[in-house]
Amino acid sequence: MKAIALIVTLLLGGLLIAATADLPDWGDPNSPASVHVSQYYIENSLEQTSVPNFVTSVLADYRGYDTMFETTVIFCAGLTVFAILRRAHRRRQKAVNPRPEREDKDLILQSAARMIVPMMQLFALYVVAHGHHSPGGGFQGGVILGAGFILLAVAYDLKTVLARLREKTVLRLSAVGVLIYSGIGFVCLLLGSNFLNYSAWARIMPFGPIEARSHGMLGVEVGVAITVLCIMFSLYVDLASGGEMDEGL
Amino acid sequence: MALNIAIIILTMAGTLFFIGTTVGLIRFPDFYTRMHAAGKGDTLSTVLILFGLALYQFHHLSVSTLLVGFKIIFIAVLIFIASPTATHAIMDAGYEAKVEYWKNKLLNWPRRQGEED
Repeated sequence: MKAIALIVTLLLGGLLIAATADLPDWGDPNSPASVHVSQYYIENSLEQTSVPNFVTSVLADYRGYDTMFETTVIFCAGLTVFAILRRAHRRRQKAVNPRPEREDKDLILQSAARMIVPMMQLFALYVVAHGHHSPGGGFQGGVILGAGFILLAVAYDLKTVLARLREKTVLRLSAVGVLIYSGIGFVCLLLGSNFLNYSAWARIMPFGPIEARSHGMLGVEVGVAITVLCIMFSLYVDLASGGEMDEGL
Repeated sequence: MALNIAIIILTMAGTLFFIGTTVGLIRFPDFYTRMHAAGKGDTLSTVLILFGLALYQFHHLSVSTLLVGFKIIFIAVLIFIASPTATHAIMDAGYEAKVEYWKNKLLNWPRRQGEED
């Protein structure tokens, strides 16, 4: 089994390295990106998508496929860590000796976390929703949301946070995020348009095709944020406790 | 004019405290005293410089400059809470891990409990 995995990995890696030979040289002035592609996005993205920040419109609309599979890669990475650490945990359960629990709870850390975490979550929502107009978006907002939960886990302990946000919920929600993204794309397919062509939403929603692209991007960003939040938290929980879900750090 | 003077005084004071922090971080003898310098000096100097920058925004009063100024003040408040807490957490972790503290044998300081001169 391991030999097969090694062969598959080597083949895929070789394929990818071979494919990089076909990419244009770094900073090549004659590559399509520097000749006409960037120009097109800079000049046309505002009138085509009504999103002032064209980084967001390129990321979530013109190259929506790429971002969808990026989200899926994050999802798969989280699941892989979960699967590996949970299995390893079952094998070496006896080898781990528990740390002595500290009796005194750290009041300073906990009060500071209580003050900061709501601000972080509010800011994260702002980053997600404001990605159209300023730097930000689903990935960044999701990371800040996840960091809020990780801060709680550091200041209190893992059990307290897991009681509020159960592991099952986290894993389900991370799938829901990917589902929101691909679902928004799939509805476009049902409405007789291309996959991830958000302007098709104008047929069932009370706004024009250009606003539909802007709103579609917002929906997609929300999906990305949910997945990134859940995977960040799941990664932290698994890595900090070695898959044991006890106090960990 | 008065605003400019206030801004200059704030940023200069911030820079001065930053220099103090750096000197303390390099010259103090052990982990705990270095964290003491880093935690206190760093927080105060950052907050002073940020307040200077926020005041600089209020040269021309309009919605956008007010917004930027209040965002900077918000960052200052956040640093004022977060930085000392982080210092405390690192210090506590060092204490838990039994990091050695500095002793001056010449002055016999700090004295052990029950010890008299």
